[in-house]
Amino acid sequence: MLRYDSTSSSAGSSSGSLSSSSSSSSSKPPQQDIDGLLAGAGYKVRSSELRQVAQRLERLETAMGNSPADFSQLASDAILYNPSDLACWVDSLLTEFAEPPPTCSSDFIVDPVNNQTVVNSAWTAAEPHTPQVHQNITYDEQQSLDNQLTVVTAMEEDSGIRLVHMLMTCAECVQSGDLSLATSLIDDMQGLLTHVNTVCGIGKVAGHFIDALSRRIFQGMGGGSVNGGSAFENEILYHHFYEACPYLKFAHFTANQAILEAFDGHDCVHVVDFNLMHGLQWPALIQALALRPGGPPLLRLTGIGPPSPDGRDSLREIGLRLAELARSVNVRFAFRGVAASRLEDVKPWMLQVNPKEAVAVNSIMQLHRLLGCEQTRNSPIDTVLSWIRGLNPKIMTVVEQEANHNQPGFLDRFTEALYYYSTMFDSLEACRIQPEKALAEIYIQREIGNVVSCEGSARVERHEPLAKWRRRLSGAGFRALRLGSNAFKQASMLLTLFSAEGYSVEENEGCLSLGWHSSPLIAASAWQAVPAWDNHMSSS
Amino acid sequence: MARSNEVNLNECKMVVPLNTWVLISNFKLAYNLLRRPDGTFNRHLAEFLDRKVPANANPVDGVFSFDVLIDRGTSLLSRIYRPTTAEEPQLNIAELEKPVMAAVVPVIIFFHGGSFAHSSANSAIYDTLCRRLVSLCKAVVVSVNYRRAPENRYPCAYDDGWTALKWVNSRPWLQSQKDSKVHIYLAGDSSGGNIAHHVALRAIESGIDVLGNILLNPMFGGQERTESEKRLDGKYFVTLRDRDWYWRAYLPEGEDRDHLACNPFGPNGRSLEGIKFPKSLVVVAGLDLIQDWQLAYVEGLKKAGQEVKLLYMEQATIGFYLLPNNNHFHTVMDEISKFVHSFNS
Repeated sequence: MLRYDSTSSSAGSSSGSLSSSSSSSSSKPPQQDIDGLLAGAGYKVRSSELRQVAQRLERLETAMGNSPADFSQLASDAILYNPSDLACWVDSLLTEFAEPPPTCSSDFIVDPVNNQTVVNSAWTAAEPHTPQVHQNITYDEQQSLDNQLTVVTAMEEDSGIRLVHMLMTCAECVQSGDLSLATSLIDDMQGLLTHVNTVCGIGKVAGHFIDALSRRIFQGMGGGSVNGGSAFENEILYHHFYEACPYLKFAHFTANQAILEAFDGHDCVHVVDFNLMHGLQWPALIQALALRPGGPPLLRLTGIGPPSPDGRDSLREIGLRLAELARSVNVRFAFRGVAASRLEDVKPWMLQVNPKEAVAVNSIMQLHRLLGCEQTRNSPIDTVLSWIRGLNPKIMTVVEQEANHNQPGFLDRFTEALYYYSTMFDSLEACRIQPEKALAEIYIQREIGNVVSCEGSARVERHEPLAKWRRRLSGAGFRALRLGSNAFKQASMLLTLFSAEGYSVEENEGCLSLGWHSSPLIAASAWQAVPAWDNHMSSS
Repeated sequence: MARSNEVNLNECKMVVPLNTWVLISNFKLAYNLLRRPDGTFNRHLAEFLDRKVPANANPVDGVFSFDVLIDRGTSLLSRIYRPTTAEEPQLNIAELEKPVMAAVVPVIIFFHGGSFAHSSANSAIYDTLCRRLVSLCKAVVVSVNYRRAPENRYPCAYDDGWTALKWVNSRPWLQSQKDSKVHIYLAGDSSGGNIAHHVALRAIESGIDVLGNILLNPMFGGQERTESEKRLDGKYFVTLRDRDWYWRAYLPEGEDRDHLACNPFGPNGRSLEGIKFPKSLVVVAGLDLIQDWQLAYVEGLKKAGQEVKLLYMEQATIGFYLLPNNNHFHTVMDEISKFVHSFNS
């Protein structure tokens, strides 16, 4: 299976120069003076600080020399953050294992969540820092893959490569407007499909891309009924996608962990969920809050979702079920549903946020839908980010597909999508439960259709990579909260429990991503609004 | 005890540039956190701490990379690094496996180091090293993401290396134009060097031609405590204790360091006399505490009549090849380049 990452990165730059990096916090000093060779090894240290860092490493070494056996035990319990930032990393270790460091002029060290130094928040845990958040789901035990997957013959491999080549050529024709050639290529490709195994691998994905291209050519730019499924249908597909692979579970789990930590010490908390669906994310949070030392807070949940056409109030139904659960674990709970077809139709007053509450805004794969065509000053994304900021949330959890599917050029988008969804389909091969697997594939297929065959306001799947989101959110007055080693560890453990081998969690400057075989497919990050008086940017 | 510790730290600071010292000391510290006295390994924390980079099909400094799943059953991934050519400065996704164009293209199968327990093919330090190898040697590099200890003991790493070798050998697009064969070299640093040796052994009766072995500070050992181990213990980033820990983690339970994986020319080793073993380039760092074992390895090859070139870098410590800020680095890279392009390869 071919895979590659076409986002250009500074990886492998042997000249030592630093390309533009994604700064996660607007208050970080500019990236000059970073040691280029260490940057190539994945570490950010300023040349001017090298000596200091070296001295602290020495102190740490001496401290460790006195009690080496305690170290690995302490390491298991400590919560560590952002290992790329060597200076702060070493300081946090020093505080854990030795005496506090001398005053560090770097401002990375302040933990914005509770205004203490990052290292202190690691200290305060006598027991594990937060109660375990585990999802209350049933999931068949994954068996290891046996020879069920058909062996790919040389001819198939060859046809597979040819298919990819033809897909690219076809996409190129579509971009340049040569629709007659594109059409004949579609025919050829459909013929080629018969020589290729379409049960798995490149054949399966290629089939979906051929369909999407076909739809684009024959139905015109409006796109048509790709995303035409009813809200009810979409919820079902989403639920099966949730069950079939770990991406959504990871999203929920990681966001919940961060929300739980952000809510620490607050008695009135309010979660705003930008896409309630079946409320799959919330039972675990409710249970975790119930187990909180000191007792649970009053929890309000506002769930946003599309209006139900047939008189059902599906939002309310979900709310009732969650209320039932909350009651059973003695968590005071209130639910409010906000029906809106599009996120940009939601106004902040609908959420009825109380100034005394700690607010968490939770967006699982919703923000990209706001990146619609016109990038005007008051585009939907700016408007929404602005009112989120106005709510002054304790935390905003953002999970997005780690993909570049919003480029203006069609061929670029197509190429990215081909790679991204091949990888995703590949990971789905590991799923052995039906109908979850089949319906999950339809869910993904619809996404592919939207990316490839829709344009304008119909194209809502405008995924952008984490680096872009970092810039966008920083520019909108948000600062990244770092997800630390405990979140990483628990995410990794969750994966081992619920998923096949091949998935991997990675840490990237405070954000976590989940991928298949070293290709990240979904990225989770947490944010907080920068206080207005600190803001150097104009608010939109 | 604290006093001699001080001396040690000062000594090793004098022989490496400051940024190298920071890099390797940081690894040392981090690795101390990961090894537990009971022999288990904090894998989650290790993965959290390891700095990784994605593959990149867009050429950076003339090199592009992509990941391939070589064996689904063991999730064996490899990262392939290829040089761009003047005629084709950029390939698209369908052309990543386009046949190599030159008359002779060395294909270096690389096994990263980490004492069998640490690092991955997509670790930043190894991604960088492999890219340098491509540029300097005008070679294709296949970096194998072998299974690691203690979760996967001997012979898993060798099995994965063997799988990779067979895979590389059977890729038509890696064949040199001159003779329609894949020109294969095995290379590795630390545990990777050890793996290269053992994979070459396995290749002997298979009919797969390995043209050469490149061993960078290869990880070997034995029950005996050698002079260099006693003299250099704890002086230059590495202690005997941690070496012992890694062998206990890799070797089958109950085995000692005279096991043939660890000590190929020891009491349980196999004689290579009369065997068609690839020529070897062995790099030994003069400040590496296991150098006596590495030198014994070289002797063992010579005694068996095998072709071997030793590069002894006197003032070099472990990891000198990770950053291009010292003379040893450049010397060694030149030699490797010559090695894979030598006449009759």
